[in-house]
Order: sequence, then C-alpha cells, then structure tokens
Amino acid sequence: MNLLKRGMLALALSWPAILFAQDDKALAPVSRTYAIANVNIVQAPGRKIDMGTVVLKDGLILFVGKNVSIPADAIIIKADSMYVYAGFIDGLSRVGVTKPKEESQGGSQQQRPKDPGNPKPEEAGITPQNDVRSSLNPADKSVAEFRNIGFTTAHVVPYGGMMPGNGAIVLLGGRTADEMVLVNKSSFYSELTPAQRVYPGTVMGVMAKYRELYRQAALSRSYENMYAANRSGIQRPATDRVLESLYPVVDKRQPVLFKAEKVTDAQRVLTLQSDLGFTLWLAELKEGWDIVNKVKASNAKVFLSLDLPEDKKDDTPARKKEEVEKNDKPKTAADVEKEALEKRKADFTAKYIGQAAVYQKAGVKFGFSTINVKASNIPSNLRRMITAGLSEDAALASLTTVPAELLGLSDRLGTVDNGKMANLVISDKPYFEEKAKVRYVFVEGNLYKLEIKEAKKGDPNAKVDLAGEWTMTTETPKGKNDETLTIKKDGNNFTGTVSGGRLLKPVDLEEVILDGNALTLRYTVNYDSQNLTVTVDAIVEGDTFKGTASIADLGIFPVEGKKNPK
Amino acid sequence: MAALLITINTVAQVERGSLLIKNGTVLTITKGTLENTDVLLKDGKISQIGKNITAPAGINVIDATGMHVMPGIIDAHSHLALDAVNESTSPVTAMVWEGDDLNPLDVSMYRAVAGGVTISHAMHGSANAIGGQCQTIKHRYGTVDPKVLMMEGAPRTIKFALGENPTRVHGNNGQGMVPNTRMGVEFVIRQAFSEAKEYMGAWSKYNSAKVKKGFRGAPPKYDLRMETLAAILRGEIIIHCHSYRADEIYMMLNVCKDFGIKRLVFQHVNEGFKVAPELAAFGAMASVFSDWWAYKFEVYYSTAYNATILTRNGVITSINSDDAELTRHLYHEAAKTQKYGGLNDEEALSLITINPARQLGIENRVGSLEVGKDADLAIFKGHPLSVYAIPVVTVIDGVVKFDREKDVDDMRIYVDPKQTIDVADAAFEEHGAHNHDACMKNAEFLLNVKMSDLNR
Repeated sequence: MNLLKRGMLALALSWPAILFAQDDKALAPVSRTYAIANVNIVQAPGRKIDMGTVVLKDGLILFVGKNVSIPADAIIIKADSMYVYAGFIDGLSRVGVTKPKEESQGGSQQQRPKDPGNPKPEEAGITPQNDVRSSLNPADKSVAEFRNIGFTTAHVVPYGGMMPGNGAIVLLGGRTADEMVLVNKSSFYSELTPAQRVYPGTVMGVMAKYRELYRQAALSRSYENMYAANRSGIQRPATDRVLESLYPVVDKRQPVLFKAEKVTDAQRVLTLQSDLGFTLWLAELKEGWDIVNKVKASNAKVFLSLDLPEDKKDDTPARKKEEVEKNDKPKTAADVEKEALEKRKADFTAKYIGQAAVYQKAGVKFGFSTINVKASNIPSNLRRMITAGLSEDAALASLTTVPAELLGLSDRLGTVDNGKMANLVISDKPYFEEKAKVRYVFVEGNLYKLEIKEAKKGDPNAKVDLAGEWTMTTETPKGKNDETLTIKKDGNNFTGTVSGGRLLKPVDLEEVILDGNALTLRYTVNYDSQNLTVTVDAIVEGDTFKGTASIADLGIFPVEGKKNPK
Repeated sequence: MAALLITINTVAQVERGSLLIKNGTVLTITKGTLENTDVLLKDGKISQIGKNITAPAGINVIDATGMHVMPGIIDAHSHLALDAVNESTSPVTAMVWEGDDLNPLDVSMYRAVAGGVTISHAMHGSANAIGGQCQTIKHRYGTVDPKVLMMEGAPRTIKFALGENPTRVHGNNGQGMVPNTRMGVEFVIRQAFSEAKEYMGAWSKYNSAKVKKGFRGAPPKYDLRMETLAAILRGEIIIHCHSYRADEIYMMLNVCKDFGIKRLVFQHVNEGFKVAPELAAFGAMASVFSDWWAYKFEVYYSTAYNATILTRNGVITSINSDDAELTRHLYHEAAKTQKYGGLNDEEALSLITINPARQLGIENRVGSLEVGKDADLAIFKGHPLSVYAIPVVTVIDGVVKFDREKDVDDMRIYVDPKQTIDVADAAFEEHGAHNHDACMKNAEFLLNVKMSDLNR
C-alpha cells in the first residue's frame, strides 16, 4: 500500500460522516475535499467571479477565487462554464416531514366529542410541546426533490392545528433526523387552523384561544420566576406542557412563525402580534400586495409563498371547438360578461405573481416559503415573478442572503465565501434561465450529482413502420410493467389502444405523433380513482423503441418497446 | 395584569370626505322634515344643514332636487362580512369576538350600501345560550383592512340566544348536554354570571393583595370567557338576546334584574307584543322582523303589528334583516308598519335609523341628520317609505360609497383566480330556477349582477 492510499484510508476512517448513502449509492466518496474548477461563481447577488474555483473541505468552503491552488486530495468537479450559487434556503416548509394519520384532531370521525367546549389540548390542535424532529424523515422523497432544484436548507415545521409545535432549521441531507438539524426549536409554529368539532372550531375561536393561552403563559411565567427566586412558603406552580412551551415566546427568545396565506388571515396575525407583542415571522403569504405597508410597519420577518395560481390556458380540443363555433356567432350578453369575468381573474393571477415585485419595490426584505408548492413548479414560478418585475438579484437574495439573515444564519449560510458551510448549487446555465438545469448540489460538503438524461435526438428522415402490435415495458418503482400497444395507420394519422399490464380494460391513445423516428404517445389511465396522464417519448429503431414514460407528476421512468411478430 | 390586557390598536386609516348635497327634502328623523334644504358634509361629519349653503372650494356638489335625503340606514341584526358566524362548540362562548373574523372583501356589504344601509351589527349566531361578541361595522366597502370596517368607539355587544336554537345544538338531539330545555338555558346563563362574579372576586382579591409590600402569591387563572362575562356585569357590553316567546323574554328580564344588568336588547322578539309594558318598564329594547315568522315552532305566534305595539308601549324598537338580501330594502320593511299599525313617517323611519343606533349605543354619532353627527346618509328618488323608492346615492363618512349612475357590474374587491365561471348556470337561473342549492355556488355573484341589471 503506497503512502497516498494509506492517507486516503486514514481520511476515510477519521470522518465517518462521509459514509453517507448518497443518491442510493452505498459507496462513500474517497475524499471530502472538492474543487469546483472553471466555474462562474455567484458569491452573492451582484457579486460575481467569472471562471474561478471553489474549494470545499470537510463541509466548509475553503477558498473562493481565481488562481486557487487545488489541494492534492481534491476531487475535481469539472463545472466548466457552469454557475455556482449558495444553496437555497426555504423559510417555511414540510420537506422531509411525515404527515400523521388523520386522527390527531377532534377524536375519531364516528365518535361525537363528549364536551366539545373543553377538549384536551391535543384534540384542539394545541401541541406546542411537539418537536418537528420526531416526524422528520431524511429518506422522504421531498428531501431529494427540493435538493434537486437547489435547496440545501429548510425551516421545517410539524403538522397540526393552531399550535403544531417547534420548527427546526434543517439541512437537506443526512441519515437521521438529528443529523439534518442545523438549528433546533428555531420557531414556535402557528396557524389560524380551527380544530374539528371541538373548540376552537372557528377562526375567531382560534384568535380567542391564542390570546388566552398567551396571557395565561405570561402570568404563570412571572409566577414561576417569583417561585424560583424563593420557594419557601408559597404554592408550587402547576406544571403545564402547553404554557411552558409558550415561555420562550413570552420571553421573546423564540419567534412565532405564523402561516397566513390570505390578506384577511395575514391581518388577523398582525392583530394578534400587536395585541400580544410576540416576535413574528410571517410566512406563506400569497395575497400580501395591498398590505405591504402594514406588514412593513409590523417589523415582522416575511416569507412569501412560492405557490402561484396557474395561468389558465384552457386549450383542450373541446374548448377550441367551442371557440371556433363562438367566432361564427354574434356575442351574447353572457359571452361579454364571461369575458369581463375572465379578465378580472387574469388580472388577479397577475397580482399573485407580482406580489414579490411589490415587496421589493416597498423595500421589504423577504425570503420564500414552500409549504404549498410542488418542487417541480418552483423554478418556473420564480421566472414568472421575475417576468412580473422582481429583479433577478432580489430573487436570488430571497433564496440565499435574505433568508440567511432573517433566520440568523448569515455567519454560516447564504453566500459563497471562505469559511461558510459548503452548501452550494451548480447549474449548467444561469439559474433563472428557462433551460438551466441543476447539475450538482453540495449539502455541508456532501455531493449530490444529478443525472441529466440527454434526450436522444430523432432522425427526421428515418422511415418507420409503426402500425402493428408492440409490447411496451415500463420500469416503475413497483417493478416492470408489460402492456400491449396496438397502433393502426389511418391516412397520415395513427390511432390505437393500450391494454394488458395493470390496465383492467384497453385505453385509447389520445395522441400518437411520429416525427421521423421520434415517437410521442399520450393516454390516460385511471389508478386509485385518479386520472393519470402518461406521456411516452421514444426513438424507434426498426422493431424496437427506447425512451421515457412520464406518468402525471409521479415521475419519469424508462420505457422500451418491441414489435410483436405478426 | 392590567398591562396584559391593554391592546395596542393600530389606528385604522379611515377615509373621510366632504360633500354638499343641494336642495333635497331632508328627513332628519329627530328634527323634522326640511324642504329644499342643503346638507354640508365636511371631513366625514355633518357640518351644516340649511338653505342656500355655498359649496366651499373643491367640494363636490350633489343636486338632490326632488329627492329625499335620510340618515344612513342601520341594520341591528346582520351577519355580513363575517368568515364565521357560530362558534357552536359550547353553550357559553363569550370569549370569541366577530371583530376577529371580519371579512372586508364580502361583496354583500356593497349590496347593502346600494340599499342605503351604512351600518350593520355583525352578530355571532344563535347556537349558544351565550354566544360570541359582535361588532358594529360601517360599510366602508373598498378596503381590505378589517379594522377600517369597525365603527370606532361603538360599544361592545354580545349575542345571547334563548329557546330552540341553543337547546337543539347542545341538548339531547345535539351534543347531549345542558341546555336541553328552556329551563336549561336559564340555568346556563345564571351559572355563567355566577361564575363570573366569583372570578371577579378572585381577581379583585388578588389585585388588592398584590399592591401590598412583600406580597407573594399566585394569580387566579386568566379566563377570557370570564373576562367577557365580567365586562357584561360591569355594564360595558350590551346584550343582544335572540328570543321569540314571551315567557323566555320575561325570564331573561328577571335574570338581568338579578345580576344588575341594564343594557339589554332583544332580537326577533316575535312575542314581544305580549310583554311590551314589561320591556318598557325594564328599559329593554326590541329589534324585530316586519312580517317574518312560522319558520320554526316557537315562531308561530306572531303578528305584523309587533313593531307598532312595541313602539306604542314606549319600547325602543328597530326592524332588522338578519339577511344579506333583505337588508337591501329595509326601507320597505319599515314601510310595512304603516300598513300594519299606521306608524307615521318619522316613527317608521326611526325603526331603521335612530332606534337601531340607540340599540347599538351609537345614537350620539349616527341615526339622524344633525350637525356634528357622522356624514352617513342615503339619497332616494321617491320617498323611502314609498313602494317606488329607489336609492340613488349612499354616503359614508362624507365619501360616496354607492352611486346608481356609476354602479359597476363586478364590485368584488378580490377575485379568486381558481374560481370557475359557468355561464350556463346563469342562463338556467334566468329561466326561473331557484338559487339556493350548492350547485349554484360559484355563480352566485354572477346571478346578482344579472338581478341588478333587471332593476335598472
């Protein structure tokens, strides 16, 4: 064994953390030193180094700059012309948090609560003693989903009612819940969510209960202090897990992280804050454009929702047909009215998208929150906000420097600087470009490499005989699934069916497009009483095809086809 | 303790305007009817009523020649602009407050304004013997700030309920607890007040001990429900009590006498005519429907003469809507008392102006056209008690909130981008179908736009 190998072995043994399973690969990296070479470094919004190098060691950023000497043990990431950013930080999230079974609130559905005005705190959604760490699962698929679009840190909270429990700031990596945690009990998470069938059963009930608990906690806190100073001769304070959990809030040592999406709810939360005086972090705000000054005056830390309403483009064939028929007829009063109503809806969709730009203009610093959004929609939603007037620098700041500052982590997170934690995202193009893809993510120096499947280009001049019967095999996590594809040629078009496999009866192909030898199929299957659209993209070569099947938003899976002999 | 209870209310930004209304027939309610008279509104208040007032520079003028100018209509029983009406989980829910779930985006408020209604009493529902606290709101439609709706300085009010509703919700057919009967309702109310007295006693004992030097001891448990009940006993909150039968109304008078409570308004009070002298002797007031009854067993014994009988017995009486649609034509509801009972114009109009103002404790601010009062008024084409009356302009705090000439079809403040619009449903409605089933839910706003078209 030569010296170098021995050194590596010693290295491996001294850092057990590198034995992390990464992307299901059991092998640990041979070194925890990485050099990302020839990369465009966006250290922070507005601070860039063209074609520099970032060196990471033991989970920290060692060097950033040009003319950096690369350590001998470094694994070199060839990120030529790629872009590296500080890992993104999510201000309110349930990434990796397991949802409890539906029974925690209000007792079981059949049983009528006995005295609904005086439920146990747990039945009323009042569980502030809970800790998100108990329901954190690093193997949850959301962890990888969010990491794959660049998030490395998230402020996660437990599920529950009006007071679900303590939040924690976690890294999107690690083998156990405890390993994920960066800051424990970082917030006292709250919602205006009423309990079911017991008090508080309405939003006004939640408001009243919140006030009452807070005031009770303040009183019992001061009595406890009095008791602690001299315990002789006075009654022992009663213990109470709910009120005790509120003490850090009453003492202003722990902020209240309050979810409020609607303009009405956000103002209710601001009312509670001004009535009670707690430190407020307002998160998942969606309708905040009209109350920006009020929010600013409250000094609350703000996290805007990354969930946006869809741009409604109803271009189903039926709708198109309707349009064509409409154009032939004079407009009725109902048509005019409907157009006006649709326009107002579009105007409001624009307001939701423009919220971030409104906050930027008003000079309110904000991070983002993701508790309602699918990871796959986040990059496009960010682009929509940018198109609506949010600057790219502000968008990046809201993903990195601002949440780091708001969460009190600026010394460790938010920029690509020497000494910070090695939380990085590397994309092949500037992140906010539509075609940008995240290629590598580092979470505390651990590398997650993203496989990019380059779609095979079809040959537009190829001649393919598609008609006939094919066996199509899809590889899903549940195993291989064989289906029979029957395609008929009808003039220049194709029609057909899919049958067999897990399908109970044959399903018509809604779309068969053959461009040269590039084949696209679309059909809908009903599974668990849900309609799932399947899109197959494949390249046909002779009597076989190879490609991918994307099944609704469940994922993209490899697919192969083989023509059955006649 | 006191420091804990002080709430720091951020001052809501209320818009106040100035306006000159020329040459109308001014129905002051308290100071007679003035022909060809001008009303000058300045910074949200009535600053002058008289002849030939010249408009100060920069003030808009409304020519009310041939029209009637009356105080803004006040609805003493409403559930407009609320996200939740009933916290029905307990027979006593005095801790909750409708001010906490006001929804300024509720377009029903604009429709009420279009019927001349400028103030309503946003009430908790009648599921509980002691329900939640209510909130008097001004229909300052166009804001997203719930605090702007709250009428500044209006006294606190609370909903109580007697009879079938609380017994049905909480009794043997509901949650299986007290109250299951009318006696149970009385017991629940008496018990709540008795507990509140104990609570007050415990706190006053603690507070007086606390100031003594070297005091060490635990405070009583803070209880928001008891805090509210104590405020009722101290006379800081007006009770608005849902009631129908004479026996239970009389019972409630006795309960209040026993606990020294003086501020009491009965709501609905269909059998109020049977105990009118008793109500008058107590000083309790009554807010009634004009002619609505028989919707449940306890509401069968009723008469359209109720408002008149109560008025003639010296009970301060109002006519309310309890309904987002009915509120739009409360002036017609008031006019019915001229058919049934022959009230004069001033008495009939008092039922929807100064009398509900008295019941809400805001009569020094609104309810009549007098110098110094809030600039809330409604201008009608035709006399407001005429069946041909048409509300044309409604003013709140000197700001025009409804103008028939400039009435926009879609007055919603916020639009849900996910809402579906089904014009087919609207067409169905036009052909005479009813509007009360859930399938019409997403088209309701559309239907009402259509209806306003028909009215024009």
